Amino acid sequence: MTSVETRSRIADISLAPLGEQRIAWVARHSPVLARLARERLSDGALGGRRVAVVVHLEAKTAYLATLLAAAGAEVVVAASNAGTTQDSVCSALVQRGIEVHATHGASSDEFEADLLAAADVGPEIIVDDGAELTARLLEHRPDRVEELVGVTEETTTGVARLRALESAGKLTFPAIAANDAACKHLFDNRYGTGQTTLSAILRLTNMSAAGKNVCVVGYGFVGRGLAQYAEGLGARVAVVEVDPVSALEAHIEGHRVARLEDALSDADIVITATGRTGALARDVFAQLKDGAVLANAGHHDREIDVEGLEAEAEDTEMRPGVTRFAFGDGRRCYLLSEGRLVNIAGADGHPVEIMDLSFSVQALAAHHLASTELPHGVQEFPAELDREIARTKLATLGVVLDETRGGGL
Amino acid sequence: MSIVEDPSLAPRGKQKIEWASLWMPVLERVRQELVEDGSVRGRRIAVILPVEPKTAYLALMLSEAGANVAVAFPGAMVQDDVAAGLAARGVEVFARRASTPEEEREYFEQILSRRPEVVIDDRADVIRFAHTTHPEVLETLLGASEETTSGVVALRAMENEGLLRVPCIAANDSRSKYLFDNRYGSGQSTIAAVLDSTNLLLAGKTVLVVGYGWVGKGVALRARGMRARVIVSEVDPFAALEAYHDGYQVMPAAGACAVADFVMTATGCRGALGESEIAHLKDGAVLANTGGIDDEFDMERLREQAIEIREVRPNVVELRLAEDRSIFVVGDGKCVNLSAGEGHAIEIMDLTFALQALSARYLLLHAHELAPGVHMLPREIDEQVVRTKLDVLGLRIDTLTSEQEAFLTSWEVPV
Repeated sequence: MTSVETRSRIADISLAPLGEQRIAWVARHSPVLARLARERLSDGALGGRRVAVVVHLEAKTAYLATLLAAAGAEVVVAASNAGTTQDSVCSALVQRGIEVHATHGASSDEFEADLLAAADVGPEIIVDDGAELTARLLEHRPDRVEELVGVTEETTTGVARLRALESAGKLTFPAIAANDAACKHLFDNRYGTGQTTLSAILRLTNMSAAGKNVCVVGYGFVGRGLAQYAEGLGARVAVVEVDPVSALEAHIEGHRVARLEDALSDADIVITATGRTGALARDVFAQLKDGAVLANAGHHDREIDVEGLEAEAEDTEMRPGVTRFAFGDGRRCYLLSEGRLVNIAGADGHPVEIMDLSFSVQALAAHHLASTELPHGVQEFPAELDREIARTKLATLGVVLDETRGGGL
Repeated sequence: MSIVEDPSLAPRGKQKIEWASLWMPVLERVRQELVEDGSVRGRRIAVILPVEPKTAYLALMLSEAGANVAVAFPGAMVQDDVAAGLAARGVEVFARRASTPEEEREYFEQILSRRPEVVIDDRADVIRFAHTTHPEVLETLLGASEETTSGVVALRAMENEGLLRVPCIAANDSRSKYLFDNRYGSGQSTIAAVLDSTNLLLAGKTVLVVGYGWVGKGVALRARGMRARVIVSEVDPFAALEAYHDGYQVMPAAGACAVADFVMTATGCRGALGESEIAHLKDGAVLANTGGIDDEFDMERLREQAIEIREVRPNVVELRLAEDRSIFVVGDGKCVNLSAGEGHAIEIMDLTFALQALSARYLLLHAHELAPGVHMLPREIDEQVVRTKLDVLGLRIDTLTSEQEAFLTSWEVPV
């Protein structure tokens, strides 16, 4: 057993070949990240830096971790969500000499222990998802916070958490809101989540989308993508929002905007995308139509109140990833992937090309933290880096931009 | 005695069949009708359809209505767990995903030795086999009901040559079938199978759809719905002009191959992509077939030509055609939604199989009135399927007033 293998906690090292196959596929379809790694990460700034990558552990994340390691970083990897870990990918990472703490379906104790193991490495840079490691580092390993050079955060939810920490005066280091980069949220949150959430729902259920009523709860970038793709598959979309601007945007886009109770009464498929817990809570279960399919596309595993469902209805596993809940009054609903992020828990996560962009942001953000002194608190991802990623992507596509013409304003 | 891959897979197969049955209310009503009227009781029905949960449920419900049902299907479109599950529920099944051509012949031999009265056929496989190899079974065969566009094409060719000896229902040509199954069914499940298998993005990509029949229309529609740019290539001028008016770029396949990120064939014809088209494909192009036949592009030839072949993900094969150029084939060139997915959505097959069950009953009751040849199902049966579906959905529609009826059936210039 290698020392990396000894330090790691994974399911089964023999799964590595399958994981390698998956990472190779990702590498082939990640030209932007590969080019930027070559051009920007190789200056030594990341050399010897302890970098923790705490993102959904599938092949795209593994490729990012590999490139950071290739740039000289000492990378440790842990899961941001126990349900989305792919064991084969973890094994391949260990085989590549990267320390991993994650297993698919880890218990909550194991999950916590894995994150603390990553914290105990004393990361200088954290590539975080949902601020899962940052929050734990602050709470459980305050003595290691000093070593932290900075954090770069992947999700809307995580950025919100970091801002809350900043308001509470606890952010004694810079935290780049990678999620807010144009090359991240415009594509990942919208098209990535849109395509993969809908296709995961169809794959798990083998159901038809055409003509169905799809209720999208939350109309941020994720909700926008869900609504677009549901419509693209022939569904009728109802949007539920609490924010008037988002609600108006949904209306002008041509979607029906309704209160949750009203939208649920005729919804065949309900998808939550609020980034908050309890988006679909016990008080509205009575409104669910018989046969409704429930799926979550937001960061939280608890957007759908699964405990509430378990308390109020009898559950039966119908097929992999599909649980039926039968209410006392005879109505049934079908919960997908136990309420976890359905596109990752029930499928392979975002398309490779989308993560090529998102992880280019993360890679450059990590490099930026390693090479630049930044003030404490939540920081924007530098606009010139954002533009460079977009330009690189366009170049790999062979798309030529127009130039500014005329004499200006 | 059934022939399946592994009987111990039955529990998972049964679970899949059970799930499908929950979402097939139209077929359920047909089942009740058949149980009540006894029209299929004791009759011998052969079901030749890709063995997946929905076909399994069709076979099972015919069996529950009293028919003696035997199921067979060759090769890659068989789900072994579903075959095992169906066999465990008492239906005779001859199907293995890894079957050899010899075994497949044996399956059809088995089916014909049961002397079916009605065959629900796919691609006219068993009807062609019976005509060429076992004409004696045609004596007791009342007729066949054909599921696919390509099968109907073959049957018409047989009819034109005066060879077709039994009445065959072109179930595929019923509106309750092709408007939904061929278009929305293939559209959704083809796109989903390709995306699930590759984990690639469709937004902003160029998708070439070869063939703009009902299947091609559905695939183009859903590809556009997933934010792709769609190019259509066609040989038929009407279909090509239709594609133009639907807002797609229309151009010959060879030129389109040079710019396409994804190519999906939907022609129902061999050689939809020939060597010259394949030669134009970009490095990294993803190729899938969703048409009614397995060799729309020649996989065997591609395998011969490739410098290197390897599986890069489940159901995705990389064929390195030159040092600097690979293409990726999803689902081995077979109908991709079945070879790399679970087939059409359940609700779509609810319509199709309700129609097939009614078509089987129609043949049992009326085949003696029909001459050998290709026949359409009566409009009432077609309508029964869609009216039942509308009823299940709680959708109501308007009816013509007697004045409107009169107007539509008169020829005089209104005063």
